[in-house]
Amino acid sequence: MIRCSVILFSTTLLLMLSGVVAFGAAGEEIYQVEQGFKLVPAIIMVALLCIYIGVGFLSKVSSTSGYWVAGQGVGKLGNGAAIASDWMSAASFMGVAGLLYLKGWFGLGYIIGWTGGYVLLLCLIAAQIRRFGKYTIPEFLGDRFNSHGVRLIAAGVTVIIAITYSTAQFKGIGLICGWIFGMDYTASVFFAAGVVCTYMLISGMSGVTRNQQIQYVVLISAFLIPLWVLLRKAGGTGILPQIEYGNIISNLMEGQTAAGQLDPEATLALKNTYLPWGNGDFYHFIALVFTLMVGTAGLPHIMIRFYTVKNEDVARRSVLWGLFFIGLLYWSSPVYAAMGQFWNPAGGKAVADVIILSAPERAGLGNAFIGYLASGALAAGLSTVAGLLIAGASAIAHDWYATVYRPGCSDRRALLIGRIFTAVLCGVVVLFALNPPALIAQIVAMAFAIAGNTIFPAVVLGIWYSRSNKYGALAGMLFGLGMTLLAMFGWMAKISMFSDGGILPATSSALIVCPLAFLINILVSNAMDKNLDDESVERGDNILRKLHNLPGYVEESEIKVKKTIAL
Amino acid sequence: MAEKQRVNVNFFAPSTDGMKAETSVAKIIIFFWFILSYGIPAFIWIAGLSDPNGLGESFITNARFMGFPLHYWLIAQGCTLGYLILCKLYCVLWDMKITALRKS
Repeated sequence: MIRCSVILFSTTLLLMLSGVVAFGAAGEEIYQVEQGFKLVPAIIMVALLCIYIGVGFLSKVSSTSGYWVAGQGVGKLGNGAAIASDWMSAASFMGVAGLLYLKGWFGLGYIIGWTGGYVLLLCLIAAQIRRFGKYTIPEFLGDRFNSHGVRLIAAGVTVIIAITYSTAQFKGIGLICGWIFGMDYTASVFFAAGVVCTYMLISGMSGVTRNQQIQYVVLISAFLIPLWVLLRKAGGTGILPQIEYGNIISNLMEGQTAAGQLDPEATLALKNTYLPWGNGDFYHFIALVFTLMVGTAGLPHIMIRFYTVKNEDVARRSVLWGLFFIGLLYWSSPVYAAMGQFWNPAGGKAVADVIILSAPERAGLGNAFIGYLASGALAAGLSTVAGLLIAGASAIAHDWYATVYRPGCSDRRALLIGRIFTAVLCGVVVLFALNPPALIAQIVAMAFAIAGNTIFPAVVLGIWYSRSNKYGALAGMLFGLGMTLLAMFGWMAKISMFSDGGILPATSSALIVCPLAFLINILVSNAMDKNLDDESVERGDNILRKLHNLPGYVEESEIKVKKTIAL
Repeated sequence: MAEKQRVNVNFFAPSTDGMKAETSVAKIIIFFWFILSYGIPAFIWIAGLSDPNGLGESFITNARFMGFPLHYWLIAQGCTLGYLILCKLYCVLWDMKITALRKS
């Protein structure tokens, strides 16, 4: 416990101090919004953070099952809110509005991709994963395929996803802290990291689950309330902004903005933004949508939510509620984008990621409203980072340390390792966040591509294809991971094939890679079927019996006992 | 010694009544999911093929629904609403087919 406190204290201190001395030039978006320290938003934000950490203190946990999956007693509404809160990140809060502002109609691909994926998750994965009923996705894959190799690749992928996804969140959190406290981007990233680390290390996942329901309420109210005022300032009645902004979009297509009628050239540019293929063609739209959907269904930190519910019936219904809560947000983020276009049609890329702050500022909404909105975005980033870092740290502590490296280690030790790696991951994310490679939503889309190309095919075939085995899973996952990382590095190296308009964009690689990963898994599994050892066959079949309620399932521990006797 | 019977699970060839019921519900929902997710964008694409500028302008982009350009509303709100209905339908069908099967 003392060691834990020392790690917590030193990490926090280091990050906070680094914030004071940090300097750098990334995050130029900060200069697109009002500069300087803002008292009212700062008070709102500090009050909110006190609530988060206070709830964390009240729900300290000491056992590992509490740290990872919060006990199995969360209901459908609560789990739905937790799914939505995990989901509603800085990407959906700030990033989607930013992309819609920049790319108009094409950006809507992010909305259908991120909602449609839940249907896949529900149909193919949710109930079966609940029947399995253990802690993590690497554990599921490792047990189903009886392979430490599969388990470690899945754990590695979970960590890479956590880092990529959290990088985007930190960019968002950093921009918000920068706006409120008047810090430069680098300093605010370090400041935000200190807050995240403190919160994470103190509360563990029991606190996170409880917090996430509170955070959802804060978040959705923060996102919705300013819209009423904004719509009124734009000339609407402000009764139902999600419907009313349709007229504003139609008027924007004719060049009518807050500054009056635009000149013909600017009008044409604005109209093209809202036409279907003004910012990308049909292939890229479909590729983006597909990638985000399979990514959604393959995200470990979303799947892990289904272990926390009472039974599979609740698991199914919590997807419905989760999607409803997420839908509320996604019906609203295009309104911010439209408001951004209305008040600042020529802002471009520099203002995209801060459009939810910039548009209300230009509309003269007042710092109290914008401060609440900013605190909501911060809550969105914080709750997602919490879920991600837990999933990442649990992949290392539970799936590598406690299962492969030191099997049979004590709960206390696994918990300590989990906390150490939470801090380590946080540090790695900060390094990436200091120089983010793309817009917030684009970085997140890359994390989805990893999940969709590696985890999704392995999990779906693991559940629905009994001949799939460890050889197929390993081959499919390595191919998926390799291709996705290649596309990501290609994007960063600005190679045209992997860029926005290339054949294999890093944000949309799954349309090609995911089906190939499925195919490789199936072909290799069948080719290697004869080489599969009896233990793998027995364990795989046993888990399939549990997943599909087939007769003959025996507890895993009994299989081991039988083996010992046979030996 | 005879080889132990292996478990046979295949989404497209379910082996038990329970699995048949589960996959049939999933297949119905995935069919509509496919129509929503790819059919609507494909419809917008086909309708806009005649636009000489290649930007997809068509009767769908010129039509208005609740003030929205129709192509915008369909993707921004229509699909999300559709997915929500599909999730509800999945739960309803599950209760009708699988829960009923288990009780019997």
